Formats: sequence, structure tokens, C-alpha cells
Amino acid sequence: MTAAAETKDLKPRDDGHRHLEVLKPAPSKRKTAARWSVILLSLAAIGLQVAAFFQSWWWIKLYAPQYPKGLKIVISLTGVSGDAREVDILNHYIGMASLTKAATLERQWAAYGVGLLAVLVVALMLLAGRKLGRLLAMAGFAFPAAFIADSFYWMYRFGHNLNPEAPIHLPPFTPQLFGNGKIGQFMTFASPSTGFWMAVAAFALLAVAAIVRARVCASCAKAGDCGAVCKDAFVGPKAGLAT
Amino acid sequence: MQISIGKGLLLGGALLGVAVAAASCENKAEQKSVQAPSGALGASASIKALMEARGLTEADVEGALKTYVPGGKSDEYMIFASGGHSGQILVIGVPSMRLLKVIGVFSPEPWQGYGYGGESDKVLAAGNQGNHKLSWADVHHPNLSETKGDYDGQFVFVNDKANGRVAVVDLTDFMTKQIVPNPLVGSDHGGAFVDPNTEYVIETSQYPAPLGREYVPISEYKEKYRGVAMFWKFDRQKGRINVEQSFAVELPPYTQDLADAGKLVSEGWAFINSFNTEMATGGTLEGKPAIESGASKNDMDYLHIINWKKAEQLVKDGKATTVKGMKLLPLKVAGEEGVLTLVGEPKSPHGCDVTPDGTGIVVGGKLDTHGTVYEFSKIKALIEQKKFEGKDTYGVPILAFKEAIRGQVEIGLGPLHTVFDDKGFAYTSVFIESVVAKWSVKDMKVVEKLPVHYNIGHIMAAEGDTVSPDGKYVVAMNKMSMDRFSKVGPLYPQNFQLVDTSGDQMRILVDSPIGIGEPHYSQMIKSDKLKPISAYKAGENPYTGQVDPNAVPNEKAAKITRNGTTVDVWMTAIRSHFVPDQIEVNEGDTVNLHITSLESAEDQVHGFALNMYNVNLSLEPGKHENVTFKADMPGVFPFYCTEFCSALHLEMAGYFLVKPK
Repeated sequence: MTAAAETKDLKPRDDGHRHLEVLKPAPSKRKTAARWSVILLSLAAIGLQVAAFFQSWWWIKLYAPQYPKGLKIVISLTGVSGDAREVDILNHYIGMASLTKAATLERQWAAYGVGLLAVLVVALMLLAGRKLGRLLAMAGFAFPAAFIADSFYWMYRFGHNLNPEAPIHLPPFTPQLFGNGKIGQFMTFASPSTGFWMAVAAFALLAVAAIVRARVCASCAKAGDCGAVCKDAFVGPKAGLAT
Repeated sequence: MQISIGKGLLLGGALLGVAVAAASCENKAEQKSVQAPSGALGASASIKALMEARGLTEADVEGALKTYVPGGKSDEYMIFASGGHSGQILVIGVPSMRLLKVIGVFSPEPWQGYGYGGESDKVLAAGNQGNHKLSWADVHHPNLSETKGDYDGQFVFVNDKANGRVAVVDLTDFMTKQIVPNPLVGSDHGGAFVDPNTEYVIETSQYPAPLGREYVPISEYKEKYRGVAMFWKFDRQKGRINVEQSFAVELPPYTQDLADAGKLVSEGWAFINSFNTEMATGGTLEGKPAIESGASKNDMDYLHIINWKKAEQLVKDGKATTVKGMKLLPLKVAGEEGVLTLVGEPKSPHGCDVTPDGTGIVVGGKLDTHGTVYEFSKIKALIEQKKFEGKDTYGVPILAFKEAIRGQVEIGLGPLHTVFDDKGFAYTSVFIESVVAKWSVKDMKVVEKLPVHYNIGHIMAAEGDTVSPDGKYVVAMNKMSMDRFSKVGPLYPQNFQLVDTSGDQMRILVDSPIGIGEPHYSQMIKSDKLKPISAYKAGENPYTGQVDPNAVPNEKAAKITRNGTTVDVWMTAIRSHFVPDQIEVNEGDTVNLHITSLESAEDQVHGFALNMYNVNLSLEPGKHENVTFKADMPGVFPFYCTEFCSALHLEMAGYFLVKPK
């Protein structure tokens, strides 16, 4: 983790180095600013993640001679839309289950997942000690990574559990999640969309927040042994003063 | 093509010029792409070779280039044409003149599943009045709905001359939604015309008869036989004619003919021409003259002028009587109260067309050479001043012909109908002379005549009977085609000729054979005014516009239930199967099929045809259909999808089994 690496770097440079020059002239003010930026970045990341919840995360386009405009499946955290119904009708010929049957549990829990993430980010940002605080970046990474992994799992599962009673028999396959693919007469093209990119942006904000937080922690008097919960650097009565 | 090789280059240039001209109405970018190959001599040489090989003239090629619409591009205009005896409406693209659709209206139409067991049976059944199931019509005059005198692309109305009926076609799905039979008369002609805001659909009778079709000896023709002008109230919100709010104006037993509604200054008025004011009734077997002779004795017949706003008010005031459930404003009241006024019109008139500005009414004459233009302001002033020349036998005031007209145009032999363009010209079909006569409305002079092939009846121009005609095109609807097409036996196709009126001279662009019925009138609307749907709402009944109470939302909801001897089947259709696909009933059971298409994608249509039971439905995406019949034949009856919906279309089938008693 970059944040951790820089924190290590900062320690020996206690006097005379650029970082301390920034912090030294008015340590409490600087620290307050840094603390606020961590809070604002984290809140912005939560905001982005919540907004992303309402956006589409992925789309898959399918082209065939009789669909000159193409068919578009739009995947969000709560379901599939676009021409999913038409694709379902076509998929039944090869015995693939309806897209509405994919990731039903994940869809149900997605909203709680976003809520949990928000709570986690707030907790890590305000309460976590130095080591635990590094997880702040990981929290942002979890959502998009889990989404891709889960999507791949479902694509694999759907393509490998074709109904043997179906009119058309195909060897098991995994539909393409990225770029071009081909199924029967269809050319497919898949790509992440708005919601996914917003989640990635949320991850980037949290990564920056984690770095800044690591710096704050690095300059903390208790930097060496603050434990799992921080009582001073961020929310304690002496927040920002424990230099 | 008699053109020497040396002229090949010039000809090539001319052809490309035509191509550019044809493209000039397209956008600029496309124009460039047409100009691009101007250096390509190969193209012009090959076109010349093609012309020689096919024996085409330059005019032919120009016509071809002006009418050719490549696949993937749409026609600029659409024609809604009478399908004549077929009882249908034809939808034709312009300039390609290709048939786009046949809409079943008064007669069953199997492809649309219109009249083959489903909900549409009720529409057709509503058009029956007598003891016989009517399965044809003499479709005459389609009329598009208007808003402020301009086509709005929402509905088209049409009349059946043979049985006195009017139908409403909804242009969201191009389906007939209502047929209203006229309870008073057996035949109509002047219809179905609308006023500028489509408050009323106007239908006027043709052959006078006792109102309500009662028996009255023909010797009492003058006393008891009558005509009517029907004003069918149109409820735009519901998309249906409201029969309760409709009314009729009783007319003398002259044979009322064509009609048109006033517009702009003449809004609130309607005009109907008539013939046989002699009231001849024939009697050929007894040696009396046929109606054709008896009806042509007088030099003048009567143009009927109806103040329908006033008639509407009088009906509201309770001045109407009720005949066969229809409110009827009596002839006496109509004559006394200024609702009905007559004015002379030259012998055997035909056509009755209001000018785009609403100031003039043009009437032709089958046995006359003139077109007569009546001046509405003069008519109105004479009526207001009660300056009448006299009264007819029924007490209806008559205006003096000379005082009511703007003038007469010397048009030719047998002028019939008149349409208008955007440059102040009128185009009149001239039957006996077989020409289209173009004349200046301002100067009242013919400027050009174009021979057409042959015996032109109706004529129609692009939005040519609205307050703002488009110009560009006129269509000559010819009764005979003689030598114009390949021979198909003694019943020849009619011929629609598309005429380019954009230049100084009229030019025929293409002939189009119409091999179905004898079409009468048609109207042409700019295609982009139409906003048709591509699918119904899931489970929609097209005749209610609502999700049907028996709609089947998914395959899990499909089921068969039995209640005594009634079997209800809730069925779904989706590529490529029906659920359920096995239905077993007992002989004598009443079977209710409720079938919903679960499709939603564009152009994914299924059919449902049941062997031997005369059931055939069209299941467009989302559509719901209800069918009720008696299982009166024991046996095994396959049913299947009649649209080639998918690769496994033939497999989209099932069995209907009827156990014998």
C-alpha cells in the first residue's frame, strides 16, 4: 500500500524535510486541514458510491443480422434492463436461464452492501488506529472488485449450466465480460459503464484519503502504538494536537 | 431510345443532373455524395446501356429516379386510399407508390386476424344491422383527422357506400376500432368528411329511401323518401364516435352526392351537391325512362348548404325528433331555421371541394364543361339577408345561382373532383376527357391539361384538402388501365398515376396498378405526422387500450379451468411455444381462449390458428386476444403459429382435443 510506504518514509525525515516544513510552521492548522480533507474525501467517496448504486454498471451489446440496431443488456446492482427480455427469449433456445435469475441474492443485498460500506468508511476514517486506517482504501476497492468477480462467476455459471432439454445444444462457454465475443450469429461487445466507473472513482478518492490519513498518523506522537482504535489523532479531545 | 453514341456524354450529364435534382430535397451532405461521381463516365455509359436495353426514355428514367426509394429509407408521404369493394384501406408510400399495408375495415382481413374469432369480431358485428352478416363494403372516401384544418395523423375515417356505414381507424396501430351503421339510410356517399377540428365526421346519404328503411311504396317517393346528412360526434379522447351525441339533418329526396366541410371563414358549414332533383324513380320494365334519363332532365340541380353549428344548437334546444334512436332535425325545421339552403348547380354535378382558404366551393359536372366556384361570403350574405329566389317543394329556400357564384371555369368534358396546391392552383379530374386540368383559382383559367390513363375518377394532392396544401404531388385515380399493365383477365387493375406538380409542367412519374376493389378517394399525409406504435403494452387489448382483465402476464399464470361446461384457457405465446400447448375439452363445451403475446421486441409477431374452427389471430408484441366458441366438432385439431416467428416457428404448435359426447 502506497500510504503505508510513505508513512514509513516520513518518520526519519522528521527535521528539515519537505513534509515537515509543510507541517511544522503551524502544525495544528495543517493537521486540521488534513483531517478535514480526509473527512471530505471519504464523504465524497460515499456519495459517489451511493450515486453509483442507481446507475448502470455494465452493458453488453449484441449484434445480429435481424437486429440492425443491436440488443443492449444493461446491468446494475439491482437488476438487468434494456433488451434483457429479448435476450432471455433468445437464450432459452440454447437452454440458458433467464438473466432475471442471476445474482438474485446479490441484488437483494446490494443496497445493504452500500450502506455497510458507508458505515465502514465512516468508522475507519474517524475511529481506526494507524494500521487499521490503511483499510480505508481497501473499502473502496472491495465493491468494484466484488462486482467483477461476481459477474464473472454468474457468466461462467450460466454458460456452464445450459438446460439439456433446450432446442439448440452448445458446448459450455463463458460469455465475454470485456470487449468482443461471439455467440451463435451474435457479435457481442461488453464494457463497464457509469456506475462502475463511479465506484472506481470512489475507490480513488478513498485511496487519497488513506494516504493523507497515513500522513496525519505518521506525525502523531502515538504513531508507534495507537492500537486498533485511535483516540487522539482524529476524534479524541486532543485531536490534531498529539504531535 | 433514339440517341446517337455521340450524345452519350450529354445524356449522362443530364441523368446525373436529374439525380442531383432528385436528391436536392435531401440534406446537403447527401447531395454531395450524389455529385461525387460526376466524373465517372462508367455510370452514365451503363445507364445509357440500360436505357437502350429496356427501351426507356429520358422521361422514364427521370420518373424512376424521382420515385425510387432505396431500402432503409422511408417514403416522404403516405396515402390512405379506399380499397373499394375489398372493404379495406390501402396504405401506399409516396413517391415509391409501394403498398405498405392493407387495413381491414368493413370486411374480415385474415393477416391482421381481423374478424376471425378474436376481439375484432365485435367491431365487425357492430356494423351489421339487418339479418345478414355483412362481409364486404364499397369503401369510398377515407378522411384523415384534422386539427385546425390540418392533418394531425391520429385517425382516418371512411364510409361504406353500399351499406351506409362509417368506420374509425386508429393510426397508432393502424387498426379499425369502430364501425357505426347509419340507422336511417341504406347507402351513403358524401363521407366520411371531417370539420377542421374533427368535432364531427360527416356522412351524407346517397339513394333516398324511407328513413329507418321502413317499407313505403315507391309511388310515395316524394312524400316519404328522404336523404340525411349525418353528423357523427367524434370523441377524440376515446378515439370513438359517440352515437348518442350524434345527429342527422333530414334532406329532400334529391340524390345527395359528395360533401365537404367548410374551413376557416366557412367553418361551421357543410356543402353537399346533389343530382336527380327531378326525383326520378325509374320503372324501366313499365317503359318509363331509366333513372339516368329521368334524373338528367333539368338543367340545374341543387347544392345543399348546411349551417351545422346552427343545426347542433337546434338539436340541443330539443328541436329534433328521434327516428330509430337517432336524433333527426326535421326537413321543415331545417328549411325554416336557415339550417338548410339550396342553390342551383349545373346539370349532374359531381365533386364538392372547399378551397384551402375556405372562401370558395368548387363543384364539377359530369355532363357539363364547367367548374363552378361558389363564393362563400356571397352565400352567407344572401342567407343573412334572406334574399331567396324561391323555395322548393319542401319549403327549403333557394339562392339565385348567379348571385352566389364567384364564376365558372371552362375546364373540359366532365370535370369531377378538385384538389389544390400551395401555389394557388387547382387540379380537377376530367372524366370524359381523361385529363387532369390545372387551373388558377385567382384567374379562373386553365393553364395546363395532362392526359391520364384512363377515365380519371377521384384526384388527390399532397395534403391537398387541408388549409395548407403541400403541392409537390397529385395522384390521378383512374378507373381504367387498358394497355398500361400486364394482362390479368377481364377484370383490370385500376391505375393510380403519381403526377409531379413541382415544376411548371405536370409530369406523370409512375403508374401503379391497384389490384383490389375499385378505389375511390384517398388522402396523402406527410409521413412524419404519423406516430405509430411498434408494440402494445404488455397484455393490452387493442380495442380498449387497457391491459385486458384476462391478460396472462407470464407463463406461470397460464392455466386451464373448467366451470360446468365452460372451459377457460389462459395462454401465452412467445418464441417458439404456447403455454399450454395441449387443451382437451368435451364436445359441446364453451371454450374461452385468452391469449397474450409475451413478446415486446419490434416486429416479433405470432399468430394463432385453430384448425377447422375458423380461428386466426394476429398476436403482435404485447397484444391480448379473447376468443369464444363452442367446441361443436369432436376430434383432434392442431393449432399453430401462423407467422414465421423464428427458426423453430413450425414447432410452435399444440393440440386442441375435443372428446365426443
